[in-house]
Amino acid sequence: MSITESFLIIATTSPYGSHQPRAALDMALTAAAFEQDVSIVFMDAAVLQLLKGQSTASGTLKNVGKMIPALTLYEVKSVYVHQPSATHYDLSDLDYVEDMEAIDDSRLKTLVEMSNHVMVF
Amino acid sequence: MKFTLVINGAPWSSPAAFSALKFAEAVLASGHEVYRLFFYQDGACNASAFCVPPQDEIDIPARWQSLIQSHDIDAVVCAASALKRGILDTAEAERYDKDGANLRPGFTVSGLGQFIDAAQQSDRVVSFVT
Repeated sequence: MSITESFLIIATTSPYGSHQPRAALDMALTAAAFEQDVSIVFMDAAVLQLLKGQSTASGTLKNVGKMIPALTLYEVKSVYVHQPSATHYDLSDLDYVEDMEAIDDSRLKTLVEMSNHVMVF
Repeated sequence: MKFTLVINGAPWSSPAAFSALKFAEAVLASGHEVYRLFFYQDGACNASAFCVPPQDEIDIPARWQSLIQSHDIDAVVCAASALKRGILDTAEAERYDKDGANLRPGFTVSGLGQFIDAAQQSDRVVSFVT
């Protein structure tokens, strides 16, 4: 069973409003563990998942920011930030937990077109 | 054509589950194959044997069970989704020292890897989210 499919995971939700950020990361890591071709895009409020200095001391959810670097470590091929969303939240490279590759709408469209599976969280 | 359906909604929270059920019935009626049903997130609640909907409402979990058993469909419930929502088979009920198991006959609990496998093996993966 060595079929490799391409999975595009699109995270759209803020880091601590639901379990969706964790579900997106679990899906990305699982697909990568099964040696699939995985990309993840952070767009809309999900760009806030990328912020440095998140503290979860007072909440019940795990620190999302600390999980972001695990993506590339566990063979998720590409991690992107959707630049129009980042601009909307007035974020720049300096705000993120690690270096991110920025993509615009047309690049996102291409990614969606080229992926076998697109999952939105 | 081989279809896999991903069901993300609980029977009562959105039209997702019933739409998926109707879609699965239509797939089979058209002579296609259901490779797998994957119950994910709130969709895990479709696998509970303990749901008792009012008599004038459709019993969606019972409809799933009947479809699954009559067509011998592979119906997988995501383990992480199921456990946190209190959907347990007998092995897990024992492991976590719970008083009762409530996984419906016909369903099995397994991991996200079953979804990845389904994505690889199916011609189409259709998600029912809302």
